[in-house]
Amino acid sequence: MEERIARFITALRSSGLRISLSESTDAFKAVEEMGVKNREIFRLSLQTTLVKEAENLPTFDELFSIFFGNSDVPTFMSAADDITPEEAQQFAKGIEQLNDQLRRMLERLLKGEMLSQQELERLSKMIGLNQMDDMRYRDWMVQRMKRALHFKEVQEALRMLEETLQQLGMNKERSQRLVQLMQANQRALVEQLRQFSGQRIAENMTNKRKEVSADALINRPFNTLSDKDMEILRKEVQHLASILRTRIALRMKKARSGSLDAKSTIRANLKHGNVPIQLKHREHSLKPKLVVICDVSTSMRYCSELMLSLLYHLQDQISKTMAFAFIDHLEFISPDFTNKDARQAVSHVLERMPSGYYNTDLGKSLQDFHRNYLEVIDGRTTLIVVGDGRNNYNDPQLDIFRKVTRRCRRAIWINPEASALWNSGDSDMLRYSPNCDVILTANTLAQLTSALDRLLIH
Amino acid sequence: MNLKRQKTKPVDKTIRFSSPGDLRAALGEQNYIAGDEIATIMYLSQQLGKPLLTEGPAGVGKTELAKAIASATCRELIRLQCYEGLDETKALYEWEYAKQLLYTQLLREKLHETLAGTESLSAAADRLENEEEVFFSMRFLLQRPLLKAILSEQPTVLLIDEIDRADAEFEAFLLEVLSDFQVSVPELGTLSAIYRPLVVLTSNNTRELSEALKRRCLYLFIDYPSIEQEMAVVRLKVPELSPKLAMQAVEMVQSLRTMDLRKSPSISETLDWAKALVALNATKLDKSTLNTTMSVLLKHENDLQRAKRWIENPPVSGFPTDEDDWRTTRTRN
Repeated sequence: MEERIARFITALRSSGLRISLSESTDAFKAVEEMGVKNREIFRLSLQTTLVKEAENLPTFDELFSIFFGNSDVPTFMSAADDITPEEAQQFAKGIEQLNDQLRRMLERLLKGEMLSQQELERLSKMIGLNQMDDMRYRDWMVQRMKRALHFKEVQEALRMLEETLQQLGMNKERSQRLVQLMQANQRALVEQLRQFSGQRIAENMTNKRKEVSADALINRPFNTLSDKDMEILRKEVQHLASILRTRIALRMKKARSGSLDAKSTIRANLKHGNVPIQLKHREHSLKPKLVVICDVSTSMRYCSELMLSLLYHLQDQISKTMAFAFIDHLEFISPDFTNKDARQAVSHVLERMPSGYYNTDLGKSLQDFHRNYLEVIDGRTTLIVVGDGRNNYNDPQLDIFRKVTRRCRRAIWINPEASALWNSGDSDMLRYSPNCDVILTANTLAQLTSALDRLLIH
Repeated sequence: MNLKRQKTKPVDKTIRFSSPGDLRAALGEQNYIAGDEIATIMYLSQQLGKPLLTEGPAGVGKTELAKAIASATCRELIRLQCYEGLDETKALYEWEYAKQLLYTQLLREKLHETLAGTESLSAAADRLENEEEVFFSMRFLLQRPLLKAILSEQPTVLLIDEIDRADAEFEAFLLEVLSDFQVSVPELGTLSAIYRPLVVLTSNNTRELSEALKRRCLYLFIDYPSIEQEMAVVRLKVPELSPKLAMQAVEMVQSLRTMDLRKSPSISETLDWAKALVALNATKLDKSTLNTTMSVLLKHENDLQRAKRWIENPPVSGFPTDEDDWRTTRTRN
């Protein structure tokens, strides 16, 4: 039993739950305390110690029923003993004209035979179930197995069979009953497939080799990330954001450099006969207003997405964020972020803005910005450009960039490319750079986070 | 309270439960209807001595659970309401400066007497040092909820309400208290709990709690109740309402919850509504009764308008479930 629980915890972990060692120890303690006799109490003992977020409860339930399911084998009913020899003959005749496979399947349904272990193994090899290690593929796998067993055709055949049997002289009630029974058996078969695929995937999950840890990934350059790595990093962003937030909050608390507040100093010192013993300072306002202009072309997409999601996790530390995205033209994308996470929002934006080949045009995008949105920049705004400064030899519009950066409080450029590459090819980075207050190179998530940390210091 | 007294442990006069069923029955006596989930997890929290973190929408009875468990176990309930800016001086302890000053003033004579006959300033200071304990004793320590729960001679229930409203730093500070149940006061030394209090934390999930805190707690998610449970609660708390009308009212609330409202009505609002229906002597839920009492259930103007529109033209399916697929409501408590 203990091993089973340990495997269950591994499976939970590999489907994305963060379960620490102390939590799994708690789970064992709880199970020891409550026993395993009552299944519901056993489930609750595990649930309360292992799952600490409501959104993970469905995952827990699903895996629990696979690992500790009462593994009720679905009930198959046999009609073989029930029917008279005459009826059996009619049945055989009724399915005569069908092809081999379908005939075998229908006979199986009539007898109420379940699939044997070998048959299941063969099936799973055929559809690639053995490589699956994610519960999300379960339904899809069941679909594929159903297709491999020609379920659709069988259903069709069953519908026809009732009529055929009646034509062959079986009475209506009997034929209906027979077909209904076979349909019930078919449903039981689907249930068997579901259970099997769930168990197989769960097994694969516990055997899955350890993934590259997020710690290693946050130090890996953006352009070498795979989609799978991105998946892990997206989760990590939240974690990083909370670290950043604590750091900012602490800094705010310690910062006592706010200016002297004369009014409340006088009020506080009334009791000392207006001798200013206690000085009062104004709250230190650290919340910046941000305007972010992101390059979302193929080369920059991951960097921009992570940057935006970091920013949106830190909304409470920032007074206002206006986000813009560009490839060949500029779009205001802040509305996309309401009620959505950064990933959905970015993919939503990308649907509207398909990336072509070599069509990035920062110059034109700056023009758009200047024409339509210049008023969002004022003396309190920090402008952040996330991009590689590669303009495909288009006009960089340096004048406009200078004009925009003069209006804002600070202009920060975050570039994933190393500075040695800035002058090569179509890079206009060196021409933009004199107008930026700070240029940060951020080629990994770790660098991006520290860049953001520096940006929030005032 | 004297520090030395802590060494002899006073007799525990409170009640411990021997099984989840036992606990459930005891909660029932306190007019709190608990499902298996709540009873089992609460029992585990008692057995393992771990804090219980309850989450769920507002008004489903999280705070009520702590109150009920306190009276069911005959323990004192100590409540710490969290808010933004809550710090140690408000949650743990504070020296009562004013009282200290007052005492020094009043005891001036005695001080003179004590210090009389000392030759040098340093000799006087030495003598005063011996008496220092007087000024930094429990007498002048203002006990805030956390310290009160730790120093209590009888086991208590400590309710830390709406922990998600407190700052992240306070959460970190709480970790230390929750794991060891001891605090160190520099002037007095380390104070540790005589009995571990039963700790219940509640959260409305307005922000993500830190993993370290979650790791130390057992987790209980309380969702809106099922129709039977809600019916039972209404019958229990508002017995004057006729069963038929109560059923209608509960059904109405349940279907309102499936709508995409800004604030779905919770149990406490159902109870308020039931009481309102009794007060108005309503015999059936007709349009005019609904119009006059609906504002008890729904607290946003937009929600009210939507609900009224829905009542006037109920959709064919009977449930307005078109827009709320994204919300997975788990009705299980």
